Amino acid sequence: MTSVLRGDTARYIASRVATTLLVIVGAMLLLFALTVLVPGDPASALLGPQATPEYARRFIAEMGLDQPIHVRFFRFFAHLSVGDFGTDVLTGRKVSGIILDVLPYTVILTFGSIGLAVVLGIPLGCLAATRPGTVLDTVLAVGSVAVIAVPGFVVAILLLLVFSIWLDWLPVLGAGRAGDLGDQAVRLILPIVALSIGWVGFIARLVRSSMLDVMGEAYIRTARAYGLPSGMVVFKYALKNACIPTLAVLGLGVGRLLGGAVLVEIVFARPGLGRLVLDAISTRNFPVLQGAVLVVVVLFVMTNLVVDLCYSAIDPRIRRGG
Amino acid sequence: MTAPLLEIRDLHLRAATQRGSAHILRGINLDIGAGRIVGVVGESGSGKSSLALCLLRLLPSNITELSGRMTMAGTELLGLPEAQFAAWRGGRIAMIFQDPMTALNPVFSIGTQLVDVARRRFPALDTKAARARAEAMLGRVGIADPGLRMGAYPHQLSGGMRQRVMIAMALLVQPDLLLADEPTTALDATVEAQIVGLFESLRADFSGSILFISHHLGLVAQLCDDVVVMYGGTVVETGPVGSVCADPRHPYTAALLACELEDAPAENDGSGRLMSIPGDVPDPVVTQAGCVFAPRCALAEAPCEMPQVLRRAPDGRQVACWKAVS
Ligand SMILES: Nc1ncnc2c1ncn2[C@@H]1O[C@H](COP(=O)(O)OP(=O)(O)OP(=O)(O)O)[C@@H](O)[C@H]1O
Ligand SMILES: [Mg+2]
Repeated sequence: MTSVLRGDTARYIASRVATTLLVIVGAMLLLFALTVLVPGDPASALLGPQATPEYARRFIAEMGLDQPIHVRFFRFFAHLSVGDFGTDVLTGRKVSGIILDVLPYTVILTFGSIGLAVVLGIPLGCLAATRPGTVLDTVLAVGSVAVIAVPGFVVAILLLLVFSIWLDWLPVLGAGRAGDLGDQAVRLILPIVALSIGWVGFIARLVRSSMLDVMGEAYIRTARAYGLPSGMVVFKYALKNACIPTLAVLGLGVGRLLGGAVLVEIVFARPGLGRLVLDAISTRNFPVLQGAVLVVVVLFVMTNLVVDLCYSAIDPRIRRGG
Repeated sequence: MTAPLLEIRDLHLRAATQRGSAHILRGINLDIGAGRIVGVVGESGSGKSSLALCLLRLLPSNITELSGRMTMAGTELLGLPEAQFAAWRGGRIAMIFQDPMTALNPVFSIGTQLVDVARRRFPALDTKAARARAEAMLGRVGIADPGLRMGAYPHQLSGGMRQRVMIAMALLVQPDLLLADEPTTALDATVEAQIVGLFESLRADFSGSILFISHHLGLVAQLCDDVVVMYGGTVVETGPVGSVCADPRHPYTAALLACELEDAPAENDGSGRLMSIPGDVPDPVVTQAGCVFAPRCALAEAPCEMPQVLRRAPDGRQVACWKAVS
């Protein structure tokens, strides 16, 4: 039986990894299709109408845009699969280098925010669920709904006004001096709070409602009937069950968070994928845009893979295959 | 007869509902002798589960009144502060629930759940010793390959197996009183027979008392020493199971018995559910002045409009019907 169990788990992991890879390949296909389908001639779309015909011709040859479609297709995949996203037309730098420079800022902002949302949201949800109908529960409910309703960039601007400009406690803008970890950490506080505060409220609400459902289950009555201490009943027997729906939402939430990170990065003038995408769009920098979008997709599906694996670690019932 | 392990006197339970106050238990009186297996029978809605939950003081939040006396081994349970009573749950009193499919936590292994219960009861045990005990107990209740099953999750076990696990959990804490609330109702007939066999085998090595709740008088007759017949939140008849079945004195007991005979193999739907007494069980929201069974009783007469209390006959049996005593 144990071996059957392990087989189930292995099969589940294999199938999730396979779907993840498929999604990534699908995203690449879509990106390639876009380069082909972009209306008009790509060179003039990229270079603008001012470029001399001669320069445009050279550019097309360099980018391989004059090759037949199947050659471009194979090149595109061959390059991407070794992490080569091409060269930035404007600066002549490797796109992969540009992305790698800013990637850590976005990753730490996004995952720091998820971490904060989980670390605060789960205990607040449990607190509310164990005291339903009390003043504390109501206060938490109102607070949660308020922070969920206010858009992240509004929170960001408010935080800047209050803590940086009015109180002058925290630095205003930027990501901090390179190499100065303390400075960089301090400059992360406001962006992380701005990005995660809505999620704290959301997770607190979610944990509260699933916790209340779980507390009414027969197995919780069993735990009580056997006199297990209430801390153990709530934080071990109930919480693990209540986390399952929360995890499912977190997987989807990563996508929204990455989207929210764009705004937060702009408001706080931080480098990051969000800024990069925005700048690439406004300068029509197609190779950079393509690379950045692909990295965002990979980040999203990989996080979802991790979430799904956590999911199966928590809930033995889904290990039998999705 | 020696002093009973548990004495329940005039136990009342009320709950607030949308339709008004529900009088779920209307003055229960019963004794459970030490080492006896006591069957509780009655139709659905007669208050059997509520009685068991009262004994664990594990009641839903809409309960407005729990009064009377429940004395176990010299201690008045209803008077104990919650902090002290907590030690009785899964200590001297353990419970097996009706539906084994939902009674075990789906995200923890059987072993984890059994070990937590064992260690709560016997804090001196380390995890390893608790595991060994749990494993031995799984073997005791007839689970093959208990070492492997310790790592199994509830969804990997059949209903009968899960009920065996619940029984193992109850035995693990070595209770003085084991409450079994229809432990076989959710199982199919063959598995039911196996679980009943397991209860029968407990006589050999379990020294506590058992309160065995069932719809099914035949099952109680097979398994129990004494029987308590409940109706509408009251006890209408008690006595040794053999003599009650041979000579039912309350019209309700007689009607139950008649149904069982009629229900015999051909028509029995396997659930043991009784369907043949005309009329419905009393609504707990409606107060009733006289005998609770009178509205459905074929023998009802004018004196039945007076309240009926349990009266003890010279042979020790108790009946709540004036006709039986006179
Ligand atoms: N918390 C509650 N609030 C309101 N009414 C309740 C509550 N608990 C039980 N009741 C009512 O009390 C009566 C007895 O319920 P109980 O579950 O004890 O019956 P039972 O004899 O165990 O029935 P079954 O054989 O179906 O398990 C039922 O009419 C039920 O609706
Ligand atoms: Mg019941």
